[in-house]
Amino acid sequence: MVARRSPFEGDLVRLRAHESEDIPIAHSWFNDAEVRQYLGRQYPFSIAAVRERAMGQPEYKHALFAVETLLDGRLIGDVGLFAAYPEARAATLGIQIGDKSCWDGGYGTDTMRTVCRFGFEMMNLHRIELDVYAENARARHVYEKIGFRLEGCRRDAIFKYGRYHDLLVMALLEGELR
Amino acid sequence: MNGPTEEQPREQPSSPFEGALIRLRAREPEDEQLLFTWFNDPEVTEFLGGERYPISRATQREFLARPGPNYESAGFAVETLADRRLIGGVDLRTSDPANRSATLGIAIGDKTCWDGGYGTDTMRTVCRFGFEVMNLHRIQLTTSAANLRARRVYEKVGFREEGILRDDRFTRGRYFDTVVMGLLEGELR
Repeated sequence: MVARRSPFEGDLVRLRAHESEDIPIAHSWFNDAEVRQYLGRQYPFSIAAVRERAMGQPEYKHALFAVETLLDGRLIGDVGLFAAYPEARAATLGIQIGDKSCWDGGYGTDTMRTVCRFGFEMMNLHRIELDVYAENARARHVYEKIGFRLEGCRRDAIFKYGRYHDLLVMALLEGELR
Repeated sequence: MNGPTEEQPREQPSSPFEGALIRLRAREPEDEQLLFTWFNDPEVTEFLGGERYPISRATQREFLARPGPNYESAGFAVETLADRRLIGGVDLRTSDPANRSATLGIAIGDKTCWDGGYGTDTMRTVCRFGFEVMNLHRIQLTTSAANLRARRVYEKVGFREEGILRDDRFTRGRYFDTVVMGLLEGELR
């Protein structure tokens, strides 16, 4: 008997579509150097750019979700499965926990588990892939904990803060989520 | 790597577009005249789904101008391997990729190719394309219960009858049942 658990909910967080009220909060995260440290984009975000990124209806090719706490419905970040290919059943994962008070509290881990479960159980994915900065030890630890395996290193793939950084490629196949 | 890494002899890759008699290719504007003729021929369209009214050249041209083939709409012209003659068309259409399910439609417009194995080979080739290239799990189709020749072909390649929609289609003065058939991955023969 399969548990009738909500596909949107983990133990600590819930995934939902973005609403326009989220935009100012997301905008502040996207321009916070500490939050941005290990994320991809390097230029400041406009309000319009944040809105355009967030406000599309989540769908197979662009399944971006707002992440809120189960306890009090507070927006704490976002997570998405992007550029899914139905032939390979593969997608690329991106995550940010923008609310720094939630760092190191298990929210990132629970968000990862929840979105990966969504990817496998609702989107019927076979493979979920992500890039992580080699020096982002906290994130790597979380990804490994839930089952992601290190597959390779893209050397000097990012130039940021005046120097090059290695990007590690990690991936999780169906059946491997812990 | 997992387990022994013994070198396996590589199978000669056969073209995913080719069967024993036919080849699937993208549709081209030059196909318009033949398709226009076929889809205005009641003998060809008798058992097809929507082709109740005569179609215009403009409608036919518009159909050929659609983008694809792609995952959403994998539509092909069917030509003979022997002399590259256009003989029909076949389509796999998907809606929600999470389901890995497509709906198949086929028409062999060239009547000289009827009963020559071309329909069977087209079905096998497009289903193989669906499973091996598109990674589908299920291919389904509907056909008129009166279309015995087609039903025999579909069953021969592995489709199973899954249901009957009673009096689903009205044409030529009476109602016809529609048969729903499905083929899952691993079932293609």
